[in-house]
Amino acid sequence: MTAPAHDRLPARSQASFILGAAALLALVSTIVLGLGLPPTLEQGPYARLIAIHPPLAWAAYLAFGVTAITSVLYLWSRTRRRVWDRVAASSAEVGVVFTALTLVTGSIWGRPTWGVWWTWDARLTSTALLLALFLGYLALRGVQTDVHTRAKRSAIAALVAVVDVPVVHFSVEWWRTLHQGRSLAQLTPQSDLDGSYVAVMLLGFMAMTLVYGWLLIERYRVEALEEHFEDQGLDRALEERRAEAEAVVAR
Amino acid sequence: MTAIDAPSRAAPGRRRLWVAGAVIVAALGFLLFQGLGEATVYFKTADEAVSQKEDLGDRRFRLEGAVVPGTVEAAPGRVAFEVRGAGGGTVDVVHQGDPPELFQPDIPVVLEGRWDGDRYASDRIMVKHTSEYRAENPDRVDEYVGKDRAGGQ
Repeated sequence: MTAPAHDRLPARSQASFILGAAALLALVSTIVLGLGLPPTLEQGPYARLIAIHPPLAWAAYLAFGVTAITSVLYLWSRTRRRVWDRVAASSAEVGVVFTALTLVTGSIWGRPTWGVWWTWDARLTSTALLLALFLGYLALRGVQTDVHTRAKRSAIAALVAVVDVPVVHFSVEWWRTLHQGRSLAQLTPQSDLDGSYVAVMLLGFMAMTLVYGWLLIERYRVEALEEHFEDQGLDRALEERRAEAEAVVAR
Repeated sequence: MTAIDAPSRAAPGRRRLWVAGAVIVAALGFLLFQGLGEATVYFKTADEAVSQKEDLGDRRFRLEGAVVPGTVEAAPGRVAFEVRGAGGGTVDVVHQGDPPELFQPDIPVVLEGRWDGDRYASDRIMVKHTSEYRAENPDRVDEYVGKDRAGGQ
């Protein structure tokens, strides 16, 4: 009775395995090389956190950017497909993880350098807001309704929430903040960034991009699996009800 | 079981949506008022603190400036120093508590406190490190040429 498509489980692909291995390799290299960075004049050993903190924030931007683009693709009737809604949801969830990690690593960095775990400056506040916005997006997705209504509603919410991404990024230029300015804003030969710092930071960006890609693929697969089992559960429930009805009729 | 109460599902779903929406809006409102409203004028520079001294009265505000070398007097649980703004205005600071690890002459700091007579009474020092990442390398050219940067930006 079940449709053949239901029986095909979304399997872990070879691409995901290769991407996962590359992500792990890049991540380990970033950590090893990051820990090997020389202490800086101003911050001493704490400056090494630059290897992971800005790349985590970048991965969060990327994740929410993908959510915004796939949300537009869903909203536009000519490109509307369920796959865009699934990608948007998966990417937002991964983005929330990266945003939370950005806040955690930033806090750990802030305590020894600034002297405080947290302060309400524009960069920190807008980042906390970003986390709240996308947690709200995920909560909205949890509201029971039909698939299309949920997809449309969350796509609009995603487009509202994503406005905060450029606000976070440029907050250090638009307002006075405790947070430092953008590290890669001026890459000139007279840059305040030593070459080794630039190199490890770029490696970090690459590593987090790969980690994001791998998490997105795997989260998407779980999403597809959930839908598969929901459909299967519904089919089974229908079968059982039918069998009960037949039993009643037969008596 | 969900199939049975399917027709009445829309009503509680809608209510939950409104409750979730209200909670989100309240949280965002709190963050905006608590954070961004305050953050747009996150600190006053030492120059502004001097020129707006009358208006500020004994209200709490954040003060930013670079620690003037040679003015730091540390005692257990207390440290006194001067901060200087980019425009040259200086403020005498008395801080209750121990300064953070990176506190040192010339470093830009953001303080929390209020005017107390002619001095600024601070109860929190935050070190505003810059986006400068130079290794502690002795054979740097600009160490010999002389630092081209004074204070912070």
